[in-house]
Amino acid sequence: MKEKLFKDILPRVSKPVRYMGNEMNIIRKDWDKAKVKMAFCFPDVYEVGMSHIGGKILYGLINETTDHLLERAFAPWPDMEELMRAENIHLYTLESYRPLKDFEVVGFTMQYELAITNILNMLDLAGIPLWAEERDERYPLIVAGGPVVFNPEPYADFIDVFLIGDGEELLPEFLDEVYATRGLKKEERLLRLAKIEGVYVPAFYQVEYNPDGTLKRMYPQKPGVPEKVRKRVVKDLDKAYFPEKPVLPYMSIVHDRAVLEVMRGCQRGCRFCHAGIVYRPSRERSIVTLKKQAENQIKNTGYEEISLTSLSSLDYSGIERLARELVAQYGKKGIGISLPSLRVDAFSVDLANEIQKVRKTTLTLAPEAGSQRMRNIINKNVTEEQLLDAVEAAFQSGWNAVKLYFMIGLPYETEEDLDGIIELMEKVRDVGRKYARRAVEVRGSLSCFVPKAHTPFQWQSQASIEELETKKRYMLREKKKGIKLSFHDSQTSYLEGVFSRGNRKLSRAIYLAYQKGCKFDGWSEYFRFDLWQEAFYEAGIDPDFYTRRRPSYDEVFPWDFIDIGVTKAFLRKENEKAARGELTLDCRHDKCSGCGICPRLEVKVDIKEGREIAPKS
Amino acid sequence: MRLRAEYRLGPDLRFLSNLEMMRLMERALRRSSLPYALTEGFNPHIKLSLGTVLPVGLWGMREYMDVEMAENIGEEYFKERMNEVLPEGVRINKARIIPEEAPSLMKIINSASYTFVLRSGYDWQEWQERIWQAERLPVKSRGKKKDAEKDLRAGIFKIETSLENELAFLNIWVATGDPVNVRYDELHDLLTITGIAARDIIDVYRSGNYIKEGDFFYTPLEKVI
Repeated sequence: MKEKLFKDILPRVSKPVRYMGNEMNIIRKDWDKAKVKMAFCFPDVYEVGMSHIGGKILYGLINETTDHLLERAFAPWPDMEELMRAENIHLYTLESYRPLKDFEVVGFTMQYELAITNILNMLDLAGIPLWAEERDERYPLIVAGGPVVFNPEPYADFIDVFLIGDGEELLPEFLDEVYATRGLKKEERLLRLAKIEGVYVPAFYQVEYNPDGTLKRMYPQKPGVPEKVRKRVVKDLDKAYFPEKPVLPYMSIVHDRAVLEVMRGCQRGCRFCHAGIVYRPSRERSIVTLKKQAENQIKNTGYEEISLTSLSSLDYSGIERLARELVAQYGKKGIGISLPSLRVDAFSVDLANEIQKVRKTTLTLAPEAGSQRMRNIINKNVTEEQLLDAVEAAFQSGWNAVKLYFMIGLPYETEEDLDGIIELMEKVRDVGRKYARRAVEVRGSLSCFVPKAHTPFQWQSQASIEELETKKRYMLREKKKGIKLSFHDSQTSYLEGVFSRGNRKLSRAIYLAYQKGCKFDGWSEYFRFDLWQEAFYEAGIDPDFYTRRRPSYDEVFPWDFIDIGVTKAFLRKENEKAARGELTLDCRHDKCSGCGICPRLEVKVDIKEGREIAPKS
Repeated sequence: MRLRAEYRLGPDLRFLSNLEMMRLMERALRRSSLPYALTEGFNPHIKLSLGTVLPVGLWGMREYMDVEMAENIGEEYFKERMNEVLPEGVRINKARIIPEEAPSLMKIINSASYTFVLRSGYDWQEWQERIWQAERLPVKSRGKKKDAEKDLRAGIFKIETSLENELAFLNIWVATGDPVNVRYDELHDLLTITGIAARDIIDVYRSGNYIKEGDFFYTPLEKVI
């Protein structure tokens, strides 16, 4: 296999390094000695998949600390896929070059709703039937995890087992049970697996609908299968496994650097934010641990940059001390420290300014909305003053370009809110003109709001494609000097919206869309909205049902049975506060907001470096 | 101090681009904790330069790089330390301290040898004679002037063949850089034009890089200034 690959196949594709394996720090475990063999599949190309931290964690965790084996596979780019099909090569892993069919478990991580067509394509390339019910004991168990599967229902007919929550808590236990149930019939085996907390086996649940198409009820059909599936959570992140010898790619990947996950979760409570709810509570690592991880990663990789990553790294209580100490230790060796996202305030910019020695190019900040009214609605607790202070600090210290992230199509949005975006950008530009040494550039990146399951805005309606296009035209009607706007694709956002609050009925449409050739839907050059529309039509599905309705508080959602720890009552309260434009403060600095996570999951917001150090914004 | 190293890039890493090769060496240097020198300025880089670009898809028996150290270290120490941290497919064969004023690899290398591994069964004596007797050896250019006709004759310096276990190793020394630059894919085309079936070519690699002076081929380790 490897010989054919290297001799006949790889010389004929673009970027053969994607399919080559052989990287530094690759782990090739003895196939015959390993207990369960699992393929970990990322449903996008190598350079995207290799940038994903979760994959790095699970790869090291399973291979270094258990008797099981985990190997990697990625979606081949269409040129490679074509060759594989022509030459009859099944999708293989980069460690052993074995086909996925040889594995006992094939797992997919779902970071993005639209990755589902790539998952189907990868299964097909592996010679594995796509529908779960068509697979018996002869085929690997197909499992899926990641943020998307907090609403697993749209994919329930394709996947045997969903793993909900923090993988490092759940996956080793899951694989142990897979090993213990070897030889059982698939159904008996799944029954055993379904008893593990955090495991969801969709085949065991009966789903009933109301005449209006909404969910009536959903219940387990077998004894021992839980009614609710509770997410798994790492209680002490500081003690959790983190890879200190990650695989080092040869090709340039999207995030090509050493990574420190300084914390997991975020307590800011932005009402549109999925990650901010499902990854609660926020848990930090200690500086001592992080410095040890940095040292070992650098020793084992030779990376030229260390990134301090999390949902909101500037909120990490030890950020200032950690950043300074890392700069002191690594700066002279030519190793830089970077902050992937900045909080909107001058402290953040000053800190970034101090530690990032590289040439200053674009400063990126995310005020999310243009008016204070709208920022209150979405609970983005940032003021105009803070933003202008931040950009002033930036322009004064040499930056000359600012990129601002906003959303359009938010609930209760009016033309004034859209005007507010432009006005805010003009103010930023004017600050730039006053302080910057060169001509300034202010770019706005506008994404379309997509209501997500498990967020306060799950009861909101998503703007239609037409409405979004109207808003876009409205904002572009007048050209403003020194200001550039770019908009996310409204059709892509619409489709994301269908799946984020989707149910099981969608599987037929997904299958049809895949049959029609949809894949790499997250890549604009391959996205075919027309084919998706045909697929919905043929499946008898009105996609507006999922996006346009504003569900009542009585509605049973298809994802309600996934217990994320945060209560539906809290989400409802937040949605009601949004309507009144009331803020809910971050419980790290204020009183408990009563989201439910700590008492219900017996966890706590875990602050490692002291509340006093954490600079309040 | 400056060091010049000769290394082997094995077949498993044949698809690396030049940029990827640079990064591989830089990261190995960082892992090695050798006292590599950095450039000045905001965005410091390791002072490292590679010889002529090894084409994607080829592996290399003897490739070269120059690297600058901030402190004096021994040649053997450099070799051993690097080999401890390099990926399996890359090995330093030899290293040598070179004078500060030594010209760069890119400036001095003017020749390379490519080895074609072939299924035997051809009359290599006769094939070589045909090559040497030809006045012109035209192929389609694969380089800048794509598809223009290019005469390789003046760029072919030396050919040696050896037989081993039913395989023939055809080693061809060619000119690189100006005025004639012979690419390995053009040589491949030349082989197929002159009667060797493409399916009989089992492997191609670059076996060396040279400084040609008259009829002599010096390696960059032999001829430093």
